[in-house]
Amino acid sequence: MRIPIALGLAIVGSVGLIAQQAPASAPRSAGATAGQGRSSAAKPAGVARAADGKPDLQGVWTNATITPLERPQNVKDLVLTEEAAARMEKAVTDRRDRLNEPSDPNRTAPPQGGDGSTGAAGNVGGYNNFWLDPGERVAIVDGQRRSSLIIDPPDGRIPALTQEARTRQQARAKMAMGRGQYDHPEYRPLAERCLLSFGPTTPLVPNYFYNNNLQIVQTPDHVMILMEMVHDARVVRIGGKHLPKHIRPWMGDSIGHWEGDTLVVDTTNFPPQQNFRGASENLHVVERFRRADDKTINYRFTVDDPTTFTAPFTGEIPFRAMEELIYEYACHEGNYALGNVLSGARNEEKRLGSKQ
Amino acid sequence: MHTTRILRDISIAFATAAVVATGFWMTSPVESQAARPARIAGKPNLNGIWQALNTANYDILSHQAKAALAFRPGPVVPVPAAPVLAFGAVGAVPAGNGIVEGDEIPYLPEAAKKQQENQANWLDRDPEIKCYLPGVPRANYMPMPFQILHSDKAVFIAYEYAGAVRNILLKDPGPAPVDSWMGQSVGAWEGDTFVVTVTGFNDQSWFDRAGNHHSDKLKVVERYTPQGPDHLWYEATIEDPATFSKPWKMRFPLYRHINPDARLNQFKCVEFVEELMYGKLRKTPVQ
Amino acid sequence: MTKRNILAGLLLAAVFVTGRSVIAHHAFGAEFDPNAPIRLQGKVVRLEWVNPHTWIHIETIKDGKPEIWMVEGGTPNTLLRRGITRDTVAVGTEVIVDGYQTKDHSLKRANGRDVTFADGRKLFMGSSGTGAPKDGSDPTEGGTKPAPKKPGGGK
Repeated sequence: MRIPIALGLAIVGSVGLIAQQAPASAPRSAGATAGQGRSSAAKPAGVARAADGKPDLQGVWTNATITPLERPQNVKDLVLTEEAAARMEKAVTDRRDRLNEPSDPNRTAPPQGGDGSTGAAGNVGGYNNFWLDPGERVAIVDGQRRSSLIIDPPDGRIPALTQEARTRQQARAKMAMGRGQYDHPEYRPLAERCLLSFGPTTPLVPNYFYNNNLQIVQTPDHVMILMEMVHDARVVRIGGKHLPKHIRPWMGDSIGHWEGDTLVVDTTNFPPQQNFRGASENLHVVERFRRADDKTINYRFTVDDPTTFTAPFTGEIPFRAMEELIYEYACHEGNYALGNVLSGARNEEKRLGSKQ
Repeated sequence: MHTTRILRDISIAFATAAVVATGFWMTSPVESQAARPARIAGKPNLNGIWQALNTANYDILSHQAKAALAFRPGPVVPVPAAPVLAFGAVGAVPAGNGIVEGDEIPYLPEAAKKQQENQANWLDRDPEIKCYLPGVPRANYMPMPFQILHSDKAVFIAYEYAGAVRNILLKDPGPAPVDSWMGQSVGAWEGDTFVVTVTGFNDQSWFDRAGNHHSDKLKVVERYTPQGPDHLWYEATIEDPATFSKPWKMRFPLYRHINPDARLNQFKCVEFVEELMYGKLRKTPVQ
Repeated sequence: MTKRNILAGLLLAAVFVTGRSVIAHHAFGAEFDPNAPIRLQGKVVRLEWVNPHTWIHIETIKDGKPEIWMVEGGTPNTLLRRGITRDTVAVGTEVIVDGYQTKDHSLKRANGRDVTFADGRKLFMGSSGTGAPKDGSDPTEGGTKPAPKKPGGGK
């Protein structure tokens, strides 16, 4: 008995159904990439659709949140209680309000030798808090307040690096030790050179500082995702094929297809300089965009690089509709900083006679 | 035997699906053109990868060919400046018909002088050399394509050159709160012509490599009128009372890339100009 | 594990820098000299409303002579979305800056570690008072809308 072509196509089609996301009301179990169960995803009522019937992902969105990418070490569960989330949020806004209070007009210069500030502030105190816009809410996905963006592995943390990756990092560190980090522009971070933003472009993880905004424009053949920084437009070719291996655009190469109501974007061809969390040029990112309601896109990403991570990992981020505009972020055109850093190193070498 | 036939049918199904999925890649220009909808939300379809076919980026006025973009005095005639000499014929400027209506730019006297100075100091002054954003309308006649993404909700232009972008706002938000390189674009349809008003420019970009310039009072009104599925007639009216005595107009066709494989490539030239801009600040400058 | 520990852990993660790449952008430590603290008081003569950093040009008087300093701020885009523009702080406004000079001591440039009006109020707080960012997460949340945008004047 011949199995009709129809069954063959049904097999192809059902692969798509399995991969569709089903809204969940309980914490997810591990193995998020294996599928969320066979319950068919009900088309969310009232989700706007484009002319070709696909859910409309268009608009201006923000992925700002205070939920970190990785779960803090002493937090076990993915889902926060309402109280815990509220306390987190209050701590953030309290801190913001405190930092925005007036200063002493009679203040003197800050301490000689630095003000002790750590991290981004670099012992010189950075700049005022009013420049920042990191988000003030925990991420809420399908009604769950999340303690981390990563949902798989179940501990919410990036899997261990492979031996190969560790060797690679050690080699890099060794090479870096033998040279000054300010010797050449090529040694400076990509963001300081205005080549790319300091947050990842693929996947669309927020940077926890500012300008966590993106615009989506959707046609049947292409979906364009504009990130505010650095005015980077990712043009996803729907139904396209990946570029030849030797062509590696800065944000990789993205192709997409629809699985029911979910846009699936597959990105490869990353250049080795773009190393999301230490990834190599073998990085492979799969992103899923699902319109949850008229104010939210549920975004899910899976990062896969067997030469770097001992397992793939998956995260979820809510993109929230934004009323405000995205403004031009012409980075290179106004980049005094890179010149200051290099001339500063040269000036210091002359003054102090030492290698920095 | 039975199993083999089942497997064969299933593999045919998969193969068919695979062909359908990559079909976009395998069609001929004629087929892909036929598949392209003529209208989007009732308006002519602007989607596509477009490019100007002219030499306006060298000089928007009519010009004959010349040896180089920058000169220095020679014993008989001016010769290419030292920094560009090695390019030879590759660095020569091709002739062009010009894209300016009336082939004349109505500069105010001071502004006309500045254009001459710009041209004479091209190597130091042309923002294109530093991979700065090209501004409007120069972005539309750079020698690289751009992609228009046109949906029922948006019109967005992604340029290959320097990854410049323009989101054409379909609702006027009022005056731009800040100056920018690419300006603030507000678009609306007049019949089958898409009209874009661009304001909020800074004074940094040029119109071409010949030193034609503007102030931050620049206002550009663009008109994109489709002429069939593969051509746009483009017009841009330039107004800048601090630079020109009256408005003037550029116009030229835009051609759609009909190769079904057509895609925007990447030209993130910021990296390419680091030696030029920061070479002297290296710990060990290149000799 | 107490609730306070959860809070502390999350707070730590959320508020402080988490990723290597994030530290890498803010080149404060690379650009400015912790051994060269400054305090400036003077009038704003120019506001460069550019990315990646706004630069506020201030004229101070040193030894009876005017000196122009450039003070580094943050991205203007976040302020724009709160209705704050270049014209919000007029040229001529008196400001106080404390920070550190660039490592390049031949330049009169510093980071705007704390930039305030002469009375100590923070410079770009906006008329809503809190300068609260909106991430649009809760449509039912009350609270301030961004201040009405001032017309883009100065042209």
